[in-house]
Amino acid sequence: MTLDPVTLATPLFILTIVLEILLARAGKLRAAYETKDTAVSLAMGLGSTIAGVLTGGVTVAASLWVYQHRLFTIPMSAAWAWAAIFLLEDLTYYGFHRISHERRIWWAAHVNHHTSQHYNLSTALRQTWTGGVAGTWALWLPLSWLGFPPAMVAIEKGISLVYQYWIHTEAIGRMPRWFEAVFNTPSHHRVHHARNPRYLDRNYAGILIVWDRLFGTFQPELAAEPCRYGIVKNLATFNLLRVAFHEWIAIGQDLVRAPRHAAGWLFGPPGWSPDGSRETSAQIRARCLPRDAAGGGPFASAAVTPSAAEG
Amino acid sequence: MIHHAFLVQVAASGAAVAALVGLAAWARIARPLNPLDEPRARELLEQEFPGRRIEAVWVGIDGAGALAKSGAAALVLVRVGDAYAARQIPWAQALSSGFKSGQISLDLGDVAAPRAVIAFASWPPKDLAA
Repeated sequence: MTLDPVTLATPLFILTIVLEILLARAGKLRAAYETKDTAVSLAMGLGSTIAGVLTGGVTVAASLWVYQHRLFTIPMSAAWAWAAIFLLEDLTYYGFHRISHERRIWWAAHVNHHTSQHYNLSTALRQTWTGGVAGTWALWLPLSWLGFPPAMVAIEKGISLVYQYWIHTEAIGRMPRWFEAVFNTPSHHRVHHARNPRYLDRNYAGILIVWDRLFGTFQPELAAEPCRYGIVKNLATFNLLRVAFHEWIAIGQDLVRAPRHAAGWLFGPPGWSPDGSRETSAQIRARCLPRDAAGGGPFASAAVTPSAAEG
Repeated sequence: MIHHAFLVQVAASGAAVAALVGLAAWARIARPLNPLDEPRARELLEQEFPGRRIEAVWVGIDGAGALAKSGAAALVLVRVGDAYAARQIPWAQALSSGFKSGQISLDLGDVAAPRAVIAFASWPPKDLAA
């Protein structure tokens, strides 16, 4: 039997969503659930499980093949090995998450997770159906090549996913300062799900927020700038197929319209276009934030320092 | 061949999804959403299209959508659940969109936002400058 943290945690997912809904209804905590939005989030989660099984064989086979050609043999029984895989897997997750936002072909697989305009525990389960096809699982292969057993890598990936579940909530404001400094938290991840220009493409962390601090992608949540959730161009539909495949279809349409720009359409940042008629996150930030800094714009909270907003 | 246990897991998960969606519907804890008025529509449009000069805004009679003229563009705001989505289309296209049964149907040309339907008393609006 394989130890799959996500499967083991499924009853916890259900129970905590029930609690979040009931406590929000009783006015005991902050959470909003819209029925169709919740249905889409949970159906995406269920579909993701099925899609994962369909492509899982390739992933497992590739991991085992790479492990057969490993550099070292790392024992699953050693504590230092678990400490090492924790750090290396989390760093790999940061890299995966960053390219999933910054390169359109991988954004197409990841965008689903960001399409809700809500931020509650059901949003955590709004997972991709096309991650296997996008091939980002290959980013974890070097860990098996180093010598970590594929089962160990899979368990650590599962632990990371389960950790990231609880941070999808508005019910928790801030964790203790030391915790906010080291770990990904509801506050940090709210920023990640926000579409405010200041918050775009920030806080890619899985478990440790230190990667964002280290690589310059950290943005604290500002009290003066409440998060507005969703994507730059929010969906105007709850159609499950459109939610799951809209960016893939949009890429296909662009490729048909201008095939000679295929590299840009696929590997440019989301919002890239050959004639500059669209905007990337970086361009949106550049357009909106300087205007703010001058004062008077809708993003005028640029003047709010993180330390003033925290606490 | 798909393992029997996996099918049981999927079926159980499906039942859990249905129960949770039912619970969310029962709880009625969506964001409160008042019908749009012009100030709120302008506020939302400023969030969606920062800095854009808006010449006129027409709010749907049911308050579920709005359409604004901004130069040669029409800025469209449409309710989605308890939130809104926005898109931009050419003004000429908005002007010539079909008006039937008190509604205009706007082709937004986007697979993620295929169509917006907004209820107006008439279209084109009578107060539209020539």
